[in-house]
Amino acid sequence: MGVSRRGFLKGLALGGTTGYLAMAGASSTVLKDVFIPPAAVGDFDIGTCKSVKCTVVSETSWFNNKRVVQDMKDAGGLLVNQYIIPWSNTGVKEGYNGNNAGGYSALIDLELLDGSKKKILLDCGWNTEWMDECFKREGVDKMLKNKEIDVLVLSHEHFDHFFGVESVLKNCPDIPIIVPKGFYKEGFDLLKGASFPVAHLKNDYPHTGPLEVRESGKVHPLFPGCATISFDSAIICRVLGEQGLVFNVKDKGLVAITGCCHMGIISFLEEIKHRVKGGDKIYGIQGGLHISPFEDWDPQYDDLIQALPSYGVEVLGCNHCTGYLTAEKMILAGLPVVQGTARFRSKKKLFLGNGDQIVFG
Amino acid sequence: MISLKNEMWLESRIMENKIAQPLRGIIGVLFSSIIFYILWWIFMDPRGILKWYTPQYGYMYIRWILIVVIWQAYVFNFWPFSLKWRENTHPVITGAVLMFVNFAVVGAVIWGFFYHFLGIYSIPYLSVDKLVGKGMTEFFAREYSSLAILMFAAIASWLSPIVTVCFANHPWQNLKQPERGITIFCVTALLSILAFLCLMHPHYHVLFWPWQEYAAAYPWWANFAHTLSGNFNVGWVMCGTVSIWMLEVTFDRYPYILIKNKIRRGVVGFIGVLLFAILLFVTFNFIQDLAWGPAIDGAKRILAPDWRYQHSGELAIMMLIPAMILNFYFDNGPKKYSAPVNIALRMIIIIVSTMVFHWLYYKFSPSILGTQAAYSHPQQFPMAPGILFICVMLFHNWFMDLWPGKKRTGNRDVMLDDDGEEIL
Repeated sequence: MGVSRRGFLKGLALGGTTGYLAMAGASSTVLKDVFIPPAAVGDFDIGTCKSVKCTVVSETSWFNNKRVVQDMKDAGGLLVNQYIIPWSNTGVKEGYNGNNAGGYSALIDLELLDGSKKKILLDCGWNTEWMDECFKREGVDKMLKNKEIDVLVLSHEHFDHFFGVESVLKNCPDIPIIVPKGFYKEGFDLLKGASFPVAHLKNDYPHTGPLEVRESGKVHPLFPGCATISFDSAIICRVLGEQGLVFNVKDKGLVAITGCCHMGIISFLEEIKHRVKGGDKIYGIQGGLHISPFEDWDPQYDDLIQALPSYGVEVLGCNHCTGYLTAEKMILAGLPVVQGTARFRSKKKLFLGNGDQIVFG
Repeated sequence: MISLKNEMWLESRIMENKIAQPLRGIIGVLFSSIIFYILWWIFMDPRGILKWYTPQYGYMYIRWILIVVIWQAYVFNFWPFSLKWRENTHPVITGAVLMFVNFAVVGAVIWGFFYHFLGIYSIPYLSVDKLVGKGMTEFFAREYSSLAILMFAAIASWLSPIVTVCFANHPWQNLKQPERGITIFCVTALLSILAFLCLMHPHYHVLFWPWQEYAAAYPWWANFAHTLSGNFNVGWVMCGTVSIWMLEVTFDRYPYILIKNKIRRGVVGFIGVLLFAILLFVTFNFIQDLAWGPAIDGAKRILAPDWRYQHSGELAIMMLIPAMILNFYFDNGPKKYSAPVNIALRMIIIIVSTMVFHWLYYKFSPSILGTQAAYSHPQQFPMAPGILFICVMLFHNWFMDLWPGKKRTGNRDVMLDDDGEEIL
């Protein structure tokens, strides 16, 4: 099949013009302005509280980074179900009594405007022996026994935030628990007293209190000046869903407290901005920011560090899965990272460690 | 002068239908699906046997299987196997042997060339051992090196077919094998290495700490792409790969085939492929903006700019799958109208099928493939199963003559003139 030069040039001109218009149209701001609605301004009033104090009960999720990554690799990679991974629980030199498992847990003391107080336990760690010691160190065990802790908020189902639930339930089996939507059947079974021998996991103290599953995509009030927001994040080791806490501290602004923040701290801040009244002023952050938990890296994390200063956060507490490398880079970028004391087996002072506290308000 | 068989054996095949449509098409898709699933279960599935989909490690092998199958059939015209062997052997045997050769070459390239040659003597991030030796966790050492190695293949699978599809093997069309294969291999390998150094090597400037500012350029796309990640280039290169293959399977090389001079055709075709790739890339980015809102600088997952770019590449692959199914198993219909009309109708079928496939993939992949239910997950890439399925379809067509739905009854014995045109 042949074609004249004129015919070909006509076709080229027609195709080129159509292609150009298609590309220019698809990428033009005019088209985006027409089809993409402007971002919502947050209007959900969560109330106001006087102050928020966060005590790091344990931010040491595991003691040997390479070991925990090797456990996942040996089991088949980062997509394998966490309940069937034989986590190293003996013979780890740096571990707690040879067990590589540690855990993440934080105690949040909330002071309301009327002076009354609420206590929230955010996550319950992993290794029950280690968590028992951490709870004892911070007096959490007695608070649980005395029913001083109002609620256990589980940020997500991950082993290092949830598998230590026995340490909480043995002291207070009827504590109210809030989980994000996405918990798997195994997670609910663990709360009921199931065991998972392959993962060296058990709970001999079935939960008897109220259990609430919080849907994603909306703000859930918890106490005056405090709410949770859930996300549909898919996470390694076959975990789905995570929630974070947001507080409105009088005369300061909003404070975001996270467990691991797999949804990304910027996504969390944006969600707050677009849903919560006063979301344009983020005063503080605390918690795991899930950037380089295994001291691994991705250029996407540099994008985050470069973008975070524009949010104007005044106090940046972080630890755990934030990663020391991230903290080092954040400090170099001029972000107000609150440094820790490196006690109770936290390794560096770069961020808040075990037993450290941060107060907002 | 060279015969069509020696120039491009696949194009000389005379195929006879053994089963009527649509049963033939359905059986063909089922056959490929079964082979795909066996391979996925053995090598990739996190619930399977070898569990290589960690994800980059397994994904690397898949990318290399694709480029090696292109080398085998398009670049080397099945050399070192004789065409007589290819013609006289049962398709199941040729399929098994050529697949085995494919896997062996992939293993040799990855383990021999990258891990133990290039990684040791030139760029350490290509060698797991070198990275582990620097104190890196073995798992991430393997993932980092896998990403780099697979990107070589991704770029090559975009550039290698261009010589055949756009240039009709010119100016080397009259060379015999293996001279022609080696020549095209060397030229496209050189171009792929250059492209890798410009498109992916800067990613490694910022992947390590301290930044490798003396060894690699700062990502030049950072300001306008709003990310330092090489995923920006992954996205449009994937669209480029899909673009060249759609030119082959859906467009039947139209309209560039109208240009008689093969070098001119090649240059115009290459530019056309690039423009079509950018069009796909921009359009898929825009569709994502419509679905999920604009990407946000520094955000993760579904809102991350770099993931959006990568997902544009994934969407392109999802478009190529129905395009190949239509060509390989359903006779590339419709065919009865003029070329532009046929192509337009095929594109409508492909776009609708892509939307259906997209929905099916995210609905059923967790139970079928052992992945997680989510659009954006930092540890999974729909491109991996997608490209493996494409590889299996290529095996089925190029190595097995689409057995059992079709049977190759012979080959057209025609000669080509110096310009690559058939001598009537």
